[in-house]
Amino acid sequence: MSAELRNRPAADIQSYVEQAAQEGRLVVQPRMGMSGPAEMAAGLRAVAAARARTVGTMTIDSYTRVEDIAGARAALAEGKHLNGFPIVNHGPVTTARVAAATGHRIPVQVRHGSARPAHIFDAMVAAGLSASEGGPVSYCLPYSRLPLAEAIPAWADATRRFAEGTAANGLRAHLETFGGCMLGQMCPPSLLVAISVLEAMFFAQHGLTSVSLSYAQQTHPVQDIEALAALHHLAETFLPADVARHVVLYTYMGVYPGTEAGAGLLLDTSAQVAVRGGAQRLIVKTAAEAHRIPTVGENIAALERATRKGREALTEECELPWARQVDYETVYTEALALIEAVLGLGPDIGPALRKGFATGLLDVPFCLHRDNTGAAQGTIGDDGRLRWAKTGAMPLPAHSSSTARAVTSARLLGMLRYTADSHDQAAAALDAAAPYRIAIVGSGPRGLSVAERLAARLQGEHPGRDVEISIVDKVQVGAGRVWRTGQDTSFLMNTACGEVTMFSGPMDDGPVRAGAGPTLAQWWSTARPADYPGPDAYAPRALYGEYLQFHLDAIETSLPARVRLRRVAGEVTGAQRDGGTWQLSFADGDQLTADRVVMTTGHPVTELSADQAGLAAFAGARPQLRYIRGDSAADMPLSGIAPGARVAVLGMGLSFYDVTAALTCGRGGRFEDDGHGGLRYVPSGREPRLVAGSRSGVPLPARGRNQKGPDWRYTARLFTPQRIRALRSRGPLDFRRDVWPWLDAEMQLVYYATAVRGRYGTEVEHAYTDSVVAEIAAAGADAAEQTARQLAERFGLDLLPPLDVNRLARPFAGCRFDSAKEYAAALAELITADVEQARRGNLDGPLKAALDVLRDVRGTIRLAVDHGGLTAASHREDFLGWFGPVSSFLAAGPPMVRLEQTLALMDAGILEVAGPDARFGADEDAGAFAVSSGQIDEAPQHCEVLIDARIPGPDLARDPAPLTRCLTRAGLWTSWANTAGGRSFDTGGVAVTASPYRPVDADGTAADGMYVLGIPTEGQRWFMQVGSSRPGPWTEFTKDADAIAADALAGLRQTARTRALEGANR
Amino acid sequence: MSVPVRHKRRIVLSTVSSDSHTWNLVFLQLLLEEGGYEVHNLGACVPDEVLVEAVRRHRPDAVVISSVNGHGHLDGARMIRVLQADADPDVAGVPVMIGGKLGIRGAADADLAGELIAAGFRAVFTEGADPADFGRTLNELAGAGALTADEAVAA
Repeated sequence: MSAELRNRPAADIQSYVEQAAQEGRLVVQPRMGMSGPAEMAAGLRAVAAARARTVGTMTIDSYTRVEDIAGARAALAEGKHLNGFPIVNHGPVTTARVAAATGHRIPVQVRHGSARPAHIFDAMVAAGLSASEGGPVSYCLPYSRLPLAEAIPAWADATRRFAEGTAANGLRAHLETFGGCMLGQMCPPSLLVAISVLEAMFFAQHGLTSVSLSYAQQTHPVQDIEALAALHHLAETFLPADVARHVVLYTYMGVYPGTEAGAGLLLDTSAQVAVRGGAQRLIVKTAAEAHRIPTVGENIAALERATRKGREALTEECELPWARQVDYETVYTEALALIEAVLGLGPDIGPALRKGFATGLLDVPFCLHRDNTGAAQGTIGDDGRLRWAKTGAMPLPAHSSSTARAVTSARLLGMLRYTADSHDQAAAALDAAAPYRIAIVGSGPRGLSVAERLAARLQGEHPGRDVEISIVDKVQVGAGRVWRTGQDTSFLMNTACGEVTMFSGPMDDGPVRAGAGPTLAQWWSTARPADYPGPDAYAPRALYGEYLQFHLDAIETSLPARVRLRRVAGEVTGAQRDGGTWQLSFADGDQLTADRVVMTTGHPVTELSADQAGLAAFAGARPQLRYIRGDSAADMPLSGIAPGARVAVLGMGLSFYDVTAALTCGRGGRFEDDGHGGLRYVPSGREPRLVAGSRSGVPLPARGRNQKGPDWRYTARLFTPQRIRALRSRGPLDFRRDVWPWLDAEMQLVYYATAVRGRYGTEVEHAYTDSVVAEIAAAGADAAEQTARQLAERFGLDLLPPLDVNRLARPFAGCRFDSAKEYAAALAELITADVEQARRGNLDGPLKAALDVLRDVRGTIRLAVDHGGLTAASHREDFLGWFGPVSSFLAAGPPMVRLEQTLALMDAGILEVAGPDARFGADEDAGAFAVSSGQIDEAPQHCEVLIDARIPGPDLARDPAPLTRCLTRAGLWTSWANTAGGRSFDTGGVAVTASPYRPVDADGTAADGMYVLGIPTEGQRWFMQVGSSRPGPWTEFTKDADAIAADALAGLRQTARTRALEGANR
Repeated sequence: MSVPVRHKRRIVLSTVSSDSHTWNLVFLQLLLEEGGYEVHNLGACVPDEVLVEAVRRHRPDAVVISSVNGHGHLDGARMIRVLQADADPDVAGVPVMIGGKLGIRGAADADLAGELIAAGFRAVFTEGADPADFGRTLNELAGAGALTADEAVAA
């Protein structure tokens, strides 16, 4: 061992296992060996990080196993991937560095399968590794042609050198016998136990003071527990007292179940047998192993599953007996007879073993090695126990083989498949009996919408098995974070209550149920009649939360027999594929197994950007300052802001209105009629002073007074779904060139047509519209503005200002103001005009009616954009960079009362708007935040508090939520990149398939049984922050939910079908 | 019941040099013995020269090679070249069949059979082959007058 390695010893495996055993923890270990140091290190790192008490494994490649170091070198030179880690070729420094990837938190065992292991042990000693495995018999007879006469002395020498070399490193050498695993299957337990004990004695005789004794799971769990009990007893009897030891169980090593569920069940049984039988360590097997080399992720899943099952085995839930409860007389007596017979052949275990095989005192069934007599046979009894069919010359009691039948070729095949087949069948039977479990993670409107469609689809059904729908939320089950019921009632929704429903169908004569229930307005009018203001009002978010809970109650009461709803409060922090199911883990350590998982996790709270972090750090270093990060206003710590404090508010969108409301009305202030059609603010005296700013310098304009009834539907004439589909079929679109002109044409049409209707009535409007549509359809969209305007002018409507979205979105672009006062006056005038426009309504007011088109055709915009409809460059620059902000500004506005309140607050001196091109910075000299406008000649204002009033968008790379991290680390969630047209850009949203929106993993494969809906998928899909459906025909909100519900329930109807192993045909 | 006058047909059963699997060999030995053959099973990881020596010593009626590690097509082709290059015409001329999982591409391995026949194997059985077909073919290969399975059981 080189000097640099000397002071970083790996953990001692025996002490580690003893420590775990004292804590009642089962140690679990994978089979794992990679050719390259980086891959091997990554595998070990993952094993060390697993939620389990683990030992790392470094399995050697097959060239090294047979001492063909040159062969390994040649293969490596050709860039070939070996089937294990070539420890000799990589050398001690690299090997030690790879092992150190565990952070020295867990021991690393080298596994090899070599009949002559000296070169491997030497390489281990040089690298400072101290734990390996094998045995003079167990690595010779099954796999090698080497005579025992050579293998035994080779092992004797190698063992001694290993013990000495390791001791010179200041470490304790440890070897595990492989004798308990002879041939993997069909060797009766007594012989396995005997060889395991004899090999351990061999190790002890050649200088080891730390050993483990293996036993491989066979055909019958109780018999296996008996074998483990006998192994403990015999090890105690025959091993010197100064040799530390533990017992290790191998999950079944023979022919493995073909279904994932069957494989999982076999792993579960092995974990239970290990715990109940007193084995302190378990070598696991994955479902994939029978077909291909498992991935690291599959190994981790198996380790964690075995750990869970092992923990369960400590409880009453496990039906297997404990080692102290079983009668292990048979296996003990037989194994004792075999051990004593061998010990009778001489004092040295090695030569005695050789004589034992030569004379047939030891005879491994079905072993073809020429040193094995081959007179013995194992068989599986009718009770499933592994027995002797023939005992040959072994000193076993006569009754040992009396009842068994001879083994024929057909019977041998059946026996080799016995464990695999019985577990596949058991899994299929369990699958049919267990409830079908659907978990919905996140119980905001998206999650509830899926629950509602599940319930609606299950109504009138008589499912053939129990169904369990778990709805999970970390804040409030049945409302979620954004709509939680306890929040300040000054936070309002953004949609008139008459346009909001969560039920996928209207109320009827029947009871309220999934598929038929009241809109928010209908519910409000009956549940809170005293304060119900009518269908055009905007409800407090907290009230909507109550409606959501009412909705969930209605879902629950309408479930048919055998279907159960579980409300689970807690934070899901991990999700892993485990066989055919998903394992969800919770922050508190709880687990939830589900056949299908719906991810509706809503708004993320992403990490701060560099600018934001800079401002936060500035405040963090100064006790008088506070930085409040962007988030839902209800989650901002606003109550700590002192009355009179100067507060900078960054952003003047919807969150700005929430923050303003919380700091004014929320502090006891109120608005009253000013007698001139406006409002006046009556302060409480507890308000801070607000200085708000944004790029436009204008608070989000009001949405037009709602004149559209609940059932109102807009039918586009120019920006039609048919036109967009046709455009899109030609390939990725350029938004500005291909899409925007038609959308603008539609808005121009509505703008002027509304004005025409206002003067001449509906009939003339229709005539006007028809002629404009005909002309534009013929001439193209580029002339739309001109066509619509000129035709309107013929009707005498020549005073209408042109409709220019860029101008509307940046009304002060290019203006300069001499003072804040001058700007405030201009802004007040603009807001007053906006309120006037909003009063005219979203049907009768030309401006607000035209802007409402942006809301009404959202579905058609999605047709053009979603799932890669635009070129990457146009998607990023035209759509997300320009259209997105403009349309949010113009069409997502608050109720007009918010604008009236804004005017009143400006009048009262509570709110000041910093101006357009607002800049928020840190003024080191003043020790305060500084707010200024690039267009006003005025000194910066200093503030003690800075509130970022912008809701962070989803970005997988910046989302610190443990669940997101877990899914991205596993490669299950990847962020969607638009690659159309050469330049690629990453949107940061989760990549999903088309409906029903399965996540697409790093290999491009859709994850089976998981769906992602709503805000996390923003990027590949557009405008996911929709919190409700509307009455009338289904919107996409409901269609999405229904598609997921249909797909999730499809699994219920496939109960009887056993799933073929994924990847078997890769 | 007649007692067959012919000797029991003799088979050398082997795998290829790189293959340490043995359950396939154990199964085939039982199957062949049930079919009335005398079987010499060479076990795991058989080097080419060990096979040649076994053929020289036992003078089998046929050689059956079974391999399941996916290298059977490579190792098998080399093995039969060595066997057929032997100076002893009885060794070089022994009929040899090969079967098992011979490649690593699953169904795409079908083309390997033709290559192995071209290399000198008299019959090739890939995954999914019918065991009855195996018995018939071996019966033909091991020479006219070999026992049928029924006769062998009767004997």
